[in-house]
Amino acid sequence: MPIFSYLALPREGARETLRAELSSLEYCQIIPADNKDLFVLVTDTPDEDIERALQKKLKNIDSLQSLSLTFGCDDQD
Amino acid sequence: MKLDRRQFIKQAAISSAFATAGALFPGISFGDWSRLTQNSGIISWQKSPCRFCGTGCGVLVGVSDGRAVAVKGDPNCSVNKGLCCMKGYHSVQALYGKDRLTKALVRKNGTLVEVPIQEALDLIAQKLQETRDKYGKDSVAMYGSGQWTIPDGYVASKLFKGCLGTNNVEANARLCMASAVTGFMTSFGIDEPMGCYEDIDHANVFITWGNNMAEMHPVLFSRMLAQRKNRTDVKIIDFATRNTRTSQAADKSIIFKPQTDLAVANAICYEIIKNDWVNWNFVNDHVSFHKGKTNIGYGTEDHFAFTDKAESISFEDFEIFLEDYTPEKVEKISGVAAKDIKYLASVYGDPTVKVTSFWCMGMNQHTRGTWINNLVYNIHLLVGKISTPGNSPFSLTGQPSACGTVREVGTLTHALPHGVVMNEHDREMAAKIWEVPVENIDPKPTYHTVEMFRALDRGDIRFMWIQVTNPMVTMPNLRRYRDGALKEDRFVVVSDVYPTPTTDIADVILPAAMWIEQEGLYGNSERRTQHFDQIVDPPGEAMSDTWQIIEVARRLGFEKQFPWAESEYIEKIWEEYRLFHAGPKHEMAPYTLLTQRSGVQWPFVNGKETRWRFNPKHDPACTNGKDFDFYGKKDNRAWIWARPYEPAAESPDAEYNFWLNTGRVLEHWHTGSMTRRVPVLHNAVPSAYVEIHPEDAAELGVVNGEKVKIISRRGEITMPAQINGRGVPVRGMVFVPFFDESYLINEVTLDAFCPISKQPDYKKCAVRLEKV
Amino acid sequence: MKSQHSKGRRAIPVAVLGIVGLFFLSHNGFAESNAPKNFDNQGGKIFEAQRVTPQLNLQADSGGRTLASFYGLRQYPGSPPRIPHEVDLSFSGNETDCLSCHGKGGYSAQFGAYAPVTPHPENVLCYQCHATIKSETLFVETEWKSITPPRLGQSFLSSSPPPVPHSLQMRENCIACHTGPGAVAEIRISHAARGDCRQCHATVVQSAPLIEFERN
Repeated sequence: MPIFSYLALPREGARETLRAELSSLEYCQIIPADNKDLFVLVTDTPDEDIERALQKKLKNIDSLQSLSLTFGCDDQD
Repeated sequence: MKLDRRQFIKQAAISSAFATAGALFPGISFGDWSRLTQNSGIISWQKSPCRFCGTGCGVLVGVSDGRAVAVKGDPNCSVNKGLCCMKGYHSVQALYGKDRLTKALVRKNGTLVEVPIQEALDLIAQKLQETRDKYGKDSVAMYGSGQWTIPDGYVASKLFKGCLGTNNVEANARLCMASAVTGFMTSFGIDEPMGCYEDIDHANVFITWGNNMAEMHPVLFSRMLAQRKNRTDVKIIDFATRNTRTSQAADKSIIFKPQTDLAVANAICYEIIKNDWVNWNFVNDHVSFHKGKTNIGYGTEDHFAFTDKAESISFEDFEIFLEDYTPEKVEKISGVAAKDIKYLASVYGDPTVKVTSFWCMGMNQHTRGTWINNLVYNIHLLVGKISTPGNSPFSLTGQPSACGTVREVGTLTHALPHGVVMNEHDREMAAKIWEVPVENIDPKPTYHTVEMFRALDRGDIRFMWIQVTNPMVTMPNLRRYRDGALKEDRFVVVSDVYPTPTTDIADVILPAAMWIEQEGLYGNSERRTQHFDQIVDPPGEAMSDTWQIIEVARRLGFEKQFPWAESEYIEKIWEEYRLFHAGPKHEMAPYTLLTQRSGVQWPFVNGKETRWRFNPKHDPACTNGKDFDFYGKKDNRAWIWARPYEPAAESPDAEYNFWLNTGRVLEHWHTGSMTRRVPVLHNAVPSAYVEIHPEDAAELGVVNGEKVKIISRRGEITMPAQINGRGVPVRGMVFVPFFDESYLINEVTLDAFCPISKQPDYKKCAVRLEKV
Repeated sequence: MKSQHSKGRRAIPVAVLGIVGLFFLSHNGFAESNAPKNFDNQGGKIFEAQRVTPQLNLQADSGGRTLASFYGLRQYPGSPPRIPHEVDLSFSGNETDCLSCHGKGGYSAQFGAYAPVTPHPENVLCYQCHATIKSETLFVETEWKSITPPRLGQSFLSSSPPPVPHSLQMRENCIACHTGPGAVAEIRISHAARGDCRQCHATVVQSAPLIEFERN
């Protein structure tokens, strides 16, 4: 049951596109920064397979410039 | 904490991300308020005075892509030095309520129909003309506001008094500051405070006379708290009829029975004289003694008229007069301990202590409001504590421009921008500047506000234009005036920004531009005029109140008097208006300076602001060569008035055994039409209530939140009780805030007023309570 | 009012003023208001705290307490925290021992940390609400869950002062928790000397639903 958080930076000018794309993903919660083009992305997937699928989707988002991992926890209950 | 473990971990994940972001990008923040999408995120800041109270804080409005998105305190404004209160900080949100009026509406067969605004203006002009033709020039009226900008009030006065020739111009400041004005005029012969906010930096003792300053002028109050913290010799004394936030913050809280402030003030003077704390140098050179009529009535009947008669008296007469007001005698009627009265007298009487007295509605909304204003001036005059830094009897203003517009432009039935209609020279000056025949200006005042609404009820007025105010919530004894406005053959035009109980009775509703959606100027309590540009566009067809009046004036044939182009009309109006105030007693700053600075005080003489009047060290209008020159009066002296205690218009009796007191709370402005549409303010105080003392509540059998019926001779209202909430009244008194239009407390109040100022008393009438 | 040393020069007017004047000249400048205490969410507390807390304490930097450790001691937002250090319990009471550190705060060499200041020192039966930790093992597994604590920085407008997200009950003295070295770092501020916190900070409890305005 992995939980991760990232800092997601959009490509130049693509802030709203990235917001739309990330908001539409399942298992994802985004918190936009007020004063910078930057989002905190928190992912919470139920198992490893879904986690891997999500990772793939994230890598394919055009408007995403970079994703920096800031927290990881594999909460096996 | 054992939250849901997953939630806890997620919270940790978020915190971790925030921390990293904070390390990489210092200053980054993650709020959660609603965001504009497609917005550039770039903010430009422009100055303006705050929309709300008479403190007149300077704010910086943040604009992004044509919307007001943020507020900062203006660090360049000496009033507040960058600090605001929660109303100011969220003021711009009041522009964006969902039900903002953006289209003109005309009532046809009972329903409101949208019409193009030009058509509505045509209809207004037509109806105005028809009413005048049919019923005479005094059948049309304009009811404005202390929240009118200065140009709003100026064009209203010019149109109605100068062109249409009627003195039916009044403003809601009659309900808020009239007693302060008549207090100034009778004591000093000239209006507006002689001190300024800088007094706060010098005073040793602050006394609040019946005003809840911590909630009503919070930025000034926190200046006082800061002074108390930073200096060792500062005290705050609260003199009030109920316990409030101000009482909690004060060093000493003194409770008095309603209306007995008159007696206590006289008792303080008695003590000062008895202990020989009188400043004889000052009194001999600068004070004269007078008395007026007594037993002067309460104005509850139609056509009530009163004219005072001033008589000179000697100091010995004054001393004899005060013998009825020994502290021991006054203790009996006021509930204030004699030792507390003596304590207050000793504060005023100590020559080493600088005293600033602040007051607002407690003293002004009073059936003897003029008198109590006189009496507090009496105290300061006896000890010579006036017109020097820190020694200041300071009448605080409630609204942002009751001073700037209503008092300085003179939008009251008897007034002109300079002087009064009764004075031939003043009429000639107005006629000259306004370019109208002097015969147009009627030398006889017509109606003050309460009488004006009575006239509407009787049918002596058939057309009324209401701007920037909500009389269908604020008129005392409301039922009569609402029924009156709804009678046959009454045409009511209302300019406002949101639907209110007043727009509910209108025949025509004009959508108005709000605050920074139009260029304008306000004048605050300390004689500071503040200019603001048009910072954002008004929505839909909303139009500035000034421009609405100009449009109607032109349709009535007065293009000559209202010739200005939209691109420069405010500047032109200001420069024309300024002519009225030329001279060292009242000179106003030029337009360009006002656009550059965050407020300029008047008198503005030779490039300098007059901060303390009547003191030649600070005031170039002083000419008598002495240490003070009270140039308002012909004898160049300040007048001490022997004013007695007279009871309230309607005191509690066997049948109606409670006092009803009304007022405000910090979060809401007046009738709430703006602040209730600001989410944080609405959520902080969502609805009104009646404050009851816990023991009274226990006797009534009511707990916090339970419904109580409040009944007076005029009406009744059912509200939830609040016990030990924001304020605690004394036993035998209840308090209701008037910001909630679903609880029209003014249906219960009484339209008695001070016979001199004609200002109603919203703080005292008799009610009884019933558990529902 | 002149300072004490000049009283001599002012002896004559002071003598004339008499006892009543001296009553005023008392240097107990911090007499608490005689207004009743238990209304307006005990609002008098914040004015009193602003008055008596030294300027240095109001502006001092945080000693490193974090929001995570804050909530770690609680079961839900607003619950009384467990006592994270050993205490000397005795049935004779002596609860004021707690106030010797937690009344005004300050550095404790024994625990190597700054003591958090209690917002409610008038409640002296501390152990009535604050439990000690004797063991970390559970008797039975629990499914207890609570809500996410209020997020920070929930201003309604980007530049406006954030509202108070928690109810004021037992937490009327803002200065106790939000200033000085004992404060939680993420909520520490240094502008408390301004005096009237609620002038700018409205109380909008985050766990309550947001009310929309509607004309009736």
